[in-house]
Amino acid sequence: MMELYAYRCDACGELHHPRHFVCRKCGNTEFTEEVLNGKVRVLSWTKVYNLPEGYMQPYLCFAIVKFEDSGLIVSVQINDDKPYIGQEADAAVGVVKEAIGKDFYGFIVEPIAV
Amino acid sequence: MREVGIVGVGHTKFGRWNGSFLDQAATAAVEALRDAGVDLAAGKAHIDQVFLASMGVGQVNKISGAASALVDTINLRPAMAETVENGPASGASAVKLAYMAIASGMADTVLVVGAEQMRILTGWESTDFVATMSHPDAEYPYGLTLPSFAGMFTRLYMEKYGLTETDLAIVSVKNHENAMHNPCAHIRLVPSLHAITEDEDADVINPYVADPIRVYSTCPMSDGAAALVLTALDTGREFAHKPVRIAGIGQATDTHVVAERPDPLDLFAVRESARKAYEMAGMGPEDIDVAELHDAFQILEIVESEEVGFFPRGEGAKAAREGRTRVDGDKPINTSGGLKAKGHPVGATGVSQVVEIVRQLRGEAEGRQVKDAQTGLTTNFGGFGNNVVSIILTTKEEG
Ligand SMILES: [Zn+2]
Repeated sequence: MMELYAYRCDACGELHHPRHFVCRKCGNTEFTEEVLNGKVRVLSWTKVYNLPEGYMQPYLCFAIVKFEDSGLIVSVQINDDKPYIGQEADAAVGVVKEAIGKDFYGFIVEPIAV
Repeated sequence: MREVGIVGVGHTKFGRWNGSFLDQAATAAVEALRDAGVDLAAGKAHIDQVFLASMGVGQVNKISGAASALVDTINLRPAMAETVENGPASGASAVKLAYMAIASGMADTVLVVGAEQMRILTGWESTDFVATMSHPDAEYPYGLTLPSFAGMFTRLYMEKYGLTETDLAIVSVKNHENAMHNPCAHIRLVPSLHAITEDEDADVINPYVADPIRVYSTCPMSDGAAALVLTALDTGREFAHKPVRIAGIGQATDTHVVAERPDPLDLFAVRESARKAYEMAGMGPEDIDVAELHDAFQILEIVESEEVGFFPRGEGAKAAREGRTRVDGDKPINTSGGLKAKGHPVGATGVSQVVEIVRQLRGEAEGRQVKDAQTGLTTNFGGFGNNVVSIILTTKEEG
């Protein structure tokens, strides 16, 4: 099972995703990785029909989601045809892009049935 | 600091260029040099520096050090030369660098050329090319594109301010109408507002690209080049045109990762770049007679018109609905047709915006002329607002 991380500043505790070289708050450069998972809530979404090279689907849905625990906000793929603002989902990790010799892993959030 | 003005402009017909990258760039360059009255004979041009702005000349055309090739083919050797890559803000960045070169005293007269060739790519490839400006780990590998961010941004704005798809279409139709009077525009047709919004076949005529953004609320992929001749106002050198003075330039960056912004509807870099440009010019939004704002998506024209101070937050669409941003309105925006209809050859756009304002301030914008225009603003938007340059041009004397 692939995992993705948040990066907690060793000096001030500020959480980052993706990784920053310098802490955006205090200027420190040392971080500790923490697994980033759990429940998220959809802040906005879109269904995109003109995908770039390398995506074989007719369309993909994307969302900006907020992690309920940490409050971190990230952009993700969402495994739903008709997402909605406020929707609850689980932050699963999967292959977001297949490429020859290298797959890219990222968040593909799974809506929680209500 | 030395005062800098623009004395020459050139602009290809945006759309499809059936020739090489360098020929397209050279066409705009030579037009601008001739417009300024510069002699192209060997050793007579006296151009000290050339900046060539392009996002894709290395990546798409596989030409490195392209400015060196341009300088040679248009006979400007031994001028200093650099290629400028700053995503879709490359063009205005090159204008800023030209200003800095002249103001510092390193150069007296500078040629700026912005050029892009996107139509040699397939739709797939060009979508990928544009997406390379997103974050290399947190955005690009997900398949997130600029339309994706614009779609999510638009949905949030709709939720917060009650914007409708029809509001986007109104801005689109206005820009298409303006483009009918710009011979350099890529798309010269005016869609019917009814056909692209309420018609029973609106979904076919105007399909979704990134829901809620449709074809008619986003720009096309275009080839194109634009050029400017900038000069110091203290040299006594005579040109064919009276200079249009650069009164202010501002630039600002924002989080590269869109999701990291504390307020996802905040286009901080637009606001900050405009604030700095106004401050340098000693002017405010009330002084602007005409503006070219970066409408890669119609939502951006609306929000930028708020962030540069023309209208209060959340009221940009209302102003457009009331006709205030039309050529005959009190704040005309994108008289050129904007990125929507004039086209968006990414690296050329920031230069093209300045060309339109110069034409407006010279009174040469036939069919789309803003009456008594004396001062204009351009805003050139890189990434999804992570690097923005605003420029103020004026025919008024320094106050
Ligand atoms: Zn810190």
